[in-house]
This record gives sequence, C-alpha cells and structure tokens, in this order.
Amino acid sequence: MTISRKEFLRRTSLLAAGSILPFRVASASSIISRADNITILYTNDTHSRLDPFPTNAKEFAGLGGIARRASLIKKIRADQKNVLLLDAGDVFHGTSWFEVYGGSVDFKLMTEMNYDAMAIGNHEFDRGPDGFAEVADQAGFPFLAANYIVRNTPMAPFIQRQIVKEFDGFRIGIFGLGIEFEGVIDRSLTGSVRAADPIRNAIQITRFLKESMRCDYIICLSHLGYHYLDSRVDDYEIAHSVDDIDLIIGGHTHTFLDAPTVIQKESGKSVYITQMGHGGVRLGRIDLNNLGVTSDYDLQARYYTIGEEE
Amino acid sequence: MWNRLYKLLFILLILSGCSILKPVDSQESLDYPHPDSEIAALLETYRPGVDAVMDKPIAVVKDTLRFSKPEGALGNMAADALRFRAALELRKFVHLGIIGEDSFKTYFIPGVLTLGDVYEFMPYDNHLVVLELKGDKVIELMNQVAAVGGAPVSGARFRIDADNRARGLLVNAEVVDLNKQYLVATSNWVANVGDQFPALLNPDNRIDVDLSVQDLYVDFFQGRSELYNERDGRIR
Repeated sequence: MTISRKEFLRRTSLLAAGSILPFRVASASSIISRADNITILYTNDTHSRLDPFPTNAKEFAGLGGIARRASLIKKIRADQKNVLLLDAGDVFHGTSWFEVYGGSVDFKLMTEMNYDAMAIGNHEFDRGPDGFAEVADQAGFPFLAANYIVRNTPMAPFIQRQIVKEFDGFRIGIFGLGIEFEGVIDRSLTGSVRAADPIRNAIQITRFLKESMRCDYIICLSHLGYHYLDSRVDDYEIAHSVDDIDLIIGGHTHTFLDAPTVIQKESGKSVYITQMGHGGVRLGRIDLNNLGVTSDYDLQARYYTIGEEE
Repeated sequence: MWNRLYKLLFILLILSGCSILKPVDSQESLDYPHPDSEIAALLETYRPGVDAVMDKPIAVVKDTLRFSKPEGALGNMAADALRFRAALELRKFVHLGIIGEDSFKTYFIPGVLTLGDVYEFMPYDNHLVVLELKGDKVIELMNQVAAVGGAPVSGARFRIDADNRARGLLVNAEVVDLNKQYLVATSNWVANVGDQFPALLNPDNRIDVDLSVQDLYVDFFQGRSELYNERDGRIR
C-alpha cells in the first residue's frame, strides 16, 4: 500500500517544529558523541552538468552547478557530524564536459566533495567498459552494482556489490542496482558485462547486510527508474519485493519527487523511495533523527534547489 | 572651524564604528549560495580543454530565436534541417520533417553560436531516421501536431481550426494523396517513442541513417551562417 504524500507529511510532522533545526545548530557543543543523527545527501542523473544550466535554457535556467552544490554540502557538513553523500548514477553524458573529458572531471570533483558511493547508470556505459575504467580510476569512491556481473572486465576493479558505513555504532549498508541492458544500452557498449536479476540480487544482498553485516539501516542506490506502467522492474517493485530495504535513492527516470513516496509493507515496515530529477538542479536530504534514543527513529526529508535562496 | 573638525571626526568615528560593529567577513560571503571556491577553482583548471573544442564559432544569431506555437523560427529550422539533410543522405526527395520540441533544451540568443551552444541546444545522442508513411497517416500526424498547438514541422502547411485539427493541409504545396507513400525525416528518439506523435509508430518502412542529429544541426547552422527570426506561416 502506498501512503499518500499527506500521510507521509503527517507521519513526519512530529518533528515539523524542528524541521529547520539542523540549519540552526552550529555550535560544537550540540554535536553529541554517539550517532544520534545521520544526514543522507544525494543526487542522481547529474549528467555532466558541472556548470549551472545556461541562461537560455528552456528549463532550470541558471540553476544547478557542481561548485554551488559543493558549497551547500560543505555548509551542511559544518552543522552535521554524520553525513553520507550518495549518487544514484548517470553522472556521464549531457554536456560538453563529458564530450571532452569523458566523466573524469565529474569524478575528480565528486571525490573532492567526499562522495561516499555511486550507483552505475546506463550512461556510465556510453564509452564502453574501457572508457568507464579509464575515468573511474580518478574516483576516490566505490561504484555499487549488486546485479552487474563484471568479473574479468575492465570495470571489475571499481565495482562493488555493497559497502557498510558505520557512524559510532550505527551501521548503514548501501548497495546498488543497475538497469537491464536490453532496449536501454547498445549491446556494443556493454562488452562482457552482464546484467542479472535486480530483485534476486537485492534479496540476497539485503539478507547479507542485515544478518552477516549486522546493518541497522539499508539503502538501495537504484538506477532502475521510479515507476513504470509496464512490467519493467522499478523502484516500486524493489520496495514491494525485497524485505529490509529502508530507503531507495533512485534515478534514471529523472523524476522530481518533492517528498519521498512511502511504501507500507505488510510487515508494518515503511520503505521510502526518493529521486531528485536530473542535472544537479536539486540536492536531496534525509535526516535520521533520535537514532540513539529509540529504535523507532524519526525521518525528515527535504530538498534544496541549487541556486535558489532557501 | 573646530566645531566643523569635531563634526567631521564624529562622522568618521561613526563610519569606522559601523565597520567595526559589522565586519565584512569575506569567508562568510562565500557561503552557499555562492559557489565553493575550491571546487570552482578546480573546475576552471579544466575549462580551457572544453573551450578549445566548444568555442568554435558555428553561426551568428541575429535575433532571439524560440520554439513558439503554432510555429517558431527555431522549430522551423530544426525540422527543415532534418528534411534537407535526409534528402541529401538518401539522394531522393523527402516530403516532411518533424521533431518534438522536447528534444531541444535551449533557445538562441543574439551573438555567436558556438559548437558548445549547439550541443546544449540538442544534447542527445540521436541519429537521423527516415520513415515511410502513407497519406492517411500523414494527415493523422498533422492532426496530432495541430492537437498540441503546433510543433517543429517541415514540408507541410496548414491552419489549426477551432477543434484543434489541421485544416487546408498541403504537403509540398499539394493536397495529400491518401494512397501515396511519403518520406518523413525525424530522429530515432521520436521514431521510437512517438514523442506526442503516435502516427509515426509502425511506419511502412524505416531507414536509420548513420548520422548524429547533433552533427546534422552543427552542419545546418554552419551552412546558414546568420540566423534570423524568420517565419513563413507554415502553421497558422
């Protein structure tokens, strides 16, 4: 069952009064030693939009830009001790930066900004596995794709199925899912990389993260797409079919979700799906609060339009 | 005189006092929404590589050119470019050109149009496609164009009536022959998904031309050299 946006807002309204609190808290004394709060920042489908959209753009004129995104992230990091910075794929393709540098500048800047991980989007194959490997070497963060089989391919050294980030005892498992190749990526570009079933792999990996890695929270970085009317696997289906995922940070469909979609599972668990459009116009933010006080933490979600005053 | 000096001193003190009370914190002034100076500086080190390739002048834009409805100078050019180039590639007459406005991300402002500007204008890795449609499908297609209030088309003239249908339709200055086969130039994206024009789906024949639509536009604008806001009333 999908919970309406209104219901979602009601559920998160407990903290409504303090919704801007993280932006006020700046003093060192307010930072507590245990992981009471974790801030998850995220982008998707930035498509080499390193500069803001040009002034003659039909949409988003003057918005975005990686240097302004970096500035906002730095500001949030100054206020928040525990920050995760993630991307759901398709950093490649879309501007002259990619035409000239093939994604290496994006990866270098994302590394400087301390991105923690990124999913593999279909456009990451635009220059084939070799082209990806050539620039992935510049990235100081892992690429996550649990359902891509990359053994004996140039992508192998850079792709991981999952990572675990620990914040003072609170363990977050993060894994990635990539889209099927058929009808999306030209066969000549995928080389010997194979795309396996995302649902089966997600079930395996969440079990591993939960049981073997003792994760308290599981994030799926998905480049499957938000929601399709046909039978293609999407974030909705992952949320319904896979237990133990807490949050799906999606991409591919360039969907601007003002608030996360909440999927209420029969078990009573809520799965949140979010996506931040494209081109780096928005930076998404999810705060997990009161983690140290109760097992039933509070979640707050918001987004920033890069270049617009708050 | 002393009185005046005291007054001046007092004013100076107030002014300097103000600056002490409200110091200009250069660090703070660089906070968001200002760009991060380190990332911006790093990005600039790579910009010459982009500029060296993308600053190449392609044409001069003389007027602001937009995608207007029912027709606009930029939309007309975008559709003409497809039709003219398709004819050149196939070495035969191509009757129509059509493309969705959504394939384009910028409009043109007066000044030098660079290679980078053309790539921003049409950022997608599409290629040229020529479809073969029967006359009845061409009428259906133009009705779909009329239904959205007009779109970039080439080779057709009509007016949009009160029911949002194409009236007085002429293709290459002739009434459409229902049984004739027409060649329609477009992009693979529009041909694959319809892009508001489902009449393009399931054509009688399809030719995929190994030519990037981005390169096609670079060549077209380069050939024009100066771009003006010219409309010919093809959709009224």
